[in-house]
Amino acid sequence: MPSTHVQGISPAASPIGQARRHLSDRSIQNLFIWPTLLLLIAVNLFPLLYSLYLSFTNFLAVQNKPPVWVGLSNFGTILHTPEMWHYFATTGRYALMSVGLQTVIGFGLAMLVRRKFFGSGLITTLILVPMMISPVVVGMFWKMIYNPNFGFFNFLLGAGHAGKGVDMLASKFFGQSTPGLALIAVAIVDVWQWSPFVMLLVLSGLNAIPEYLYEAAAIDRASPWFQFRRITLPQVAPLLLIAVLFRTIEAFKSFDLVMGMTGGGPGDQTELIAVNLYRQAFLGTFKTGFSSALAYIILIIIIAASNMYIKYLNQIKGEA
Amino acid sequence: MATIQLSKVEKKFGDLHAVKPLDLTINDGEFVVLLGPSGCGKTTTLRMISGLEAVTGGRILLNGKEVTWKHPSERDMAFVFQFYALYSHLSVRQNIAFPLQAQGMKREAIDKRVNEVVDILRIRHLLRLRPGKLAGGDQQRVALARALVRRPAAFLMDEPLGALDAELRESMRAEIKNLHIAQHATTVYVTHDQIEAMAMGDRIVVMSKAEVQQVGTPVDVYYNPSNLFVARFIGSPGMNLVKGKFSGGAVRMAGNDRYEVPPAWQKPLADSLDGRDEVILGFRPEAARVTPDGSMAGEVYATDMHGGHTVLHVNICEGEIVHIRSDRQNTYPMGTPIRFAIDPEMVRFFNPRTEAAVRREAAR
Amino acid sequence: MARFEERGPRFPTVQPVRVDKIHPRAQALRRIVALIAVVVTIIILLPVFVMGISAFKTRADVMSSPPKVLFRPTLEGFMLLLTERAVVSPARLEELQETAKEGKLSLFERLALDAGMEITGPSAYVFRLRNSVIIAGISTIASVVLGLFAAYAFSRFRLRGKDDLLFFILSTRMLPAVVVTIPLFLMYRQLGLHDKHLGMIILYTVFNLSFSVWLLKGFIDEIPKEYEEAALVDGYTRLQAFFRIVLPQAASGIAATTVFCLIFAWNEYAFALMLTSQRARTAPPSIATMMGRGGIEWSAIAAGSLGFLIPVVIVTFALRKYLLRGITFGAIRG
Repeated sequence: MPSTHVQGISPAASPIGQARRHLSDRSIQNLFIWPTLLLLIAVNLFPLLYSLYLSFTNFLAVQNKPPVWVGLSNFGTILHTPEMWHYFATTGRYALMSVGLQTVIGFGLAMLVRRKFFGSGLITTLILVPMMISPVVVGMFWKMIYNPNFGFFNFLLGAGHAGKGVDMLASKFFGQSTPGLALIAVAIVDVWQWSPFVMLLVLSGLNAIPEYLYEAAAIDRASPWFQFRRITLPQVAPLLLIAVLFRTIEAFKSFDLVMGMTGGGPGDQTELIAVNLYRQAFLGTFKTGFSSALAYIILIIIIAASNMYIKYLNQIKGEA
Repeated sequence: MATIQLSKVEKKFGDLHAVKPLDLTINDGEFVVLLGPSGCGKTTTLRMISGLEAVTGGRILLNGKEVTWKHPSERDMAFVFQFYALYSHLSVRQNIAFPLQAQGMKREAIDKRVNEVVDILRIRHLLRLRPGKLAGGDQQRVALARALVRRPAAFLMDEPLGALDAELRESMRAEIKNLHIAQHATTVYVTHDQIEAMAMGDRIVVMSKAEVQQVGTPVDVYYNPSNLFVARFIGSPGMNLVKGKFSGGAVRMAGNDRYEVPPAWQKPLADSLDGRDEVILGFRPEAARVTPDGSMAGEVYATDMHGGHTVLHVNICEGEIVHIRSDRQNTYPMGTPIRFAIDPEMVRFFNPRTEAAVRREAAR
Repeated sequence: MARFEERGPRFPTVQPVRVDKIHPRAQALRRIVALIAVVVTIIILLPVFVMGISAFKTRADVMSSPPKVLFRPTLEGFMLLLTERAVVSPARLEELQETAKEGKLSLFERLALDAGMEITGPSAYVFRLRNSVIIAGISTIASVVLGLFAAYAFSRFRLRGKDDLLFFILSTRMLPAVVVTIPLFLMYRQLGLHDKHLGMIILYTVFNLSFSVWLLKGFIDEIPKEYEEAALVDGYTRLQAFFRIVLPQAASGIAATTVFCLIFAWNEYAFALMLTSQRARTAPPSIATMMGRGGIEWSAIAAGSLGFLIPVVIVTFALRKYLLRGITFGAIRG
């Protein structure tokens, strides 16, 4: 591998260089990169390949029998099981709800704190706090807030007494069973936690818009709405899109939050695909082979989305 | 019709004066240049005229009507920014149409105006492109088109050629001036480049450190600078300024150089120096002539060849260097002693304490 | 409005501002926006606040309905979180009450006594917390150091297949945890790394590595190569140039990266859940299982949550400049 070279005095020729034996660029390169690469290969690449192999077997981790090759039957089972499709659909609905709301709210927050005012720096930092908390912890205390008996949520809705009111996590709306309510509840929490992320990205985009664009518009008598539509929005759009892509990928991987709040219930209303994967692999009969296949399907979806994300990122970088 | 009047316009930031109270009248159709080094207040003044900056004191009038506190869009002025301020996501046509769309003009009227303007600036071939794909000069033309399309009473330009390279600057200079003449438009133009100001301005307002140093035509400002700053700032190189003492009708400078003060200057000089004898002698490079019987002497320090002429750096004493223009044939090796004379019509004097120029005629 | 346009503002405008922005209406609008921002912030932080005060409520208060806003604060939740207790016989109870009268019991012991119990030692949670600190701390240091070296190499040297390598590194971050854990679970079991600190440290280091390499590379890219080249011409070795020139200039980038890696490792739940059970288990999986007598111990959970997020909040505030740089940098520059 060619290394960068410098014209002029070679280091060895100078007194400092002669005083000690120095490492060549080539060896530094190797020294710096290989430990990282090796670790990554060992802990990421190798397990991935191993997982690929497992997906073609019917291995069960609890047993001591060696894995038996079953070809594509795991994949077949997954694709033909309606429940699996249901979980994917649930995850999709969740991602749509959550990312959609996050984007709007995050954008709104950015517009609010965009111009400096007294305390705006503090406020921006404070808004970051939800993002910084462990999702499972977030899930736990929102579980408390959603509690139908003593939770704050019900209190605000004006119905705090035992048995009455809304039990979000059991999908009961004033006693009526309303399926899907739990998923909405989880989505709300996700929005709460990640809108600040969108806000940050949008904010950096907003701050990058040169003021003279707005000055020119002011002189041309453009109304605030006109300025928003024609200057602000187009300039911020790329960043917004990045945020959306990123959060969508994360929504598909969503695991911690659900585990903290509902564990997949009630029934399977919040059984996101990552949660189900966990269940198949680590609970019950430890269906390692089967779950590896499922994992791979999820992986492929995410790789496709990430590819889009990275390509778009490079495009932006290219234009910038 | 567009006459702009600034009456005691000032801008303070806390206790800091960005622009000290300033009076200026810009006549209809005039091309006035605000000239000065960075930080002198010229851009702030321009922005106050446009409304992009609120004044701390004073009034601004357009055709006699007060506009000091009017919305920038209601002053009937167009602004051309240094960095063009074009919308990168809109095409050139859309950029130009933008101000008219913002005003709510009808489609056909907009198209008509855009077509006119685009031909004046010769950018019809660029209409479909995005600003990002254009060269600097073309971008600036689009910015000018966008200003022109509004048919404003006045044009305000903030160092529009600052981001262009030297060659382009020269051709754009001529274009802008021609545009101004063709449109009969009142223009206020900010620049730090005195060559540009001299070339384009009907009148120049020289500013430094938040104050107006002189207002006058290029000729005024060049031949009769009202103080040391203007004398130094205008002209390349600027005026030579040599310290000396006035006594016995002549100015003695260090190194035993002695310059006979022309008769017309004797009395004004004596009067204005107020009993003291320190004076500053000023002359432009072209006002000096190398001649063996000149009254000033010095040693050649360096020679700048400018093609059509040469500028000699002459050390007249103890490191004090003056610039003398000479014709091409005369190149002197370093260290050559030479003598030169100063044209009595072009010599100027300054009071070192007040920095003001001494006036030859009595004050009118 | 007409008055403003004639008269101007009531006080001279001594900051740079456009004429239309000092119009009284524009100023009022700005104040309203500021107000809304404050209100929104309060609303956003309300859940955290609610959880926070619950940590200081008694068992009864936590579960009271409607929820109590005013209550007598206590550290009961923390006591439940951090200690193991046993029910005491009536005899022992009296003994303890005697000791309490003499003022010889600690706060926690007294609280336990009120519930008719005696403290037998620290709870499992305390050990888990300690595991969190060890594992998060060491893995962060490792991933930042290794990431720094790798990022430097990627930034300064031309490598065959560099872009592909970088893509590979970034893509590992995109993996859902569960995909990797299944095979890792088996591998670790084989290697004896299951439920060991070393296993978790390695794992967290690797997962943070992809992020830290990308982030640090971005920061190092911004440092002009000319500084090192000048040093090399002056006779410094590349290593010396790296330590003396690049490192100090990348300091803020390193800080940002460290903050992120720390936060990720500290908050991590999925891996910890699946790859540990008793010995190396960190705090997050344990918070969810605070079972007490008669069900979920809410005040303990609140206490645990609060305690767990306070370090993160402190770090967030202390290093917010770096954080903000890092987040936007990481997302935009990839």
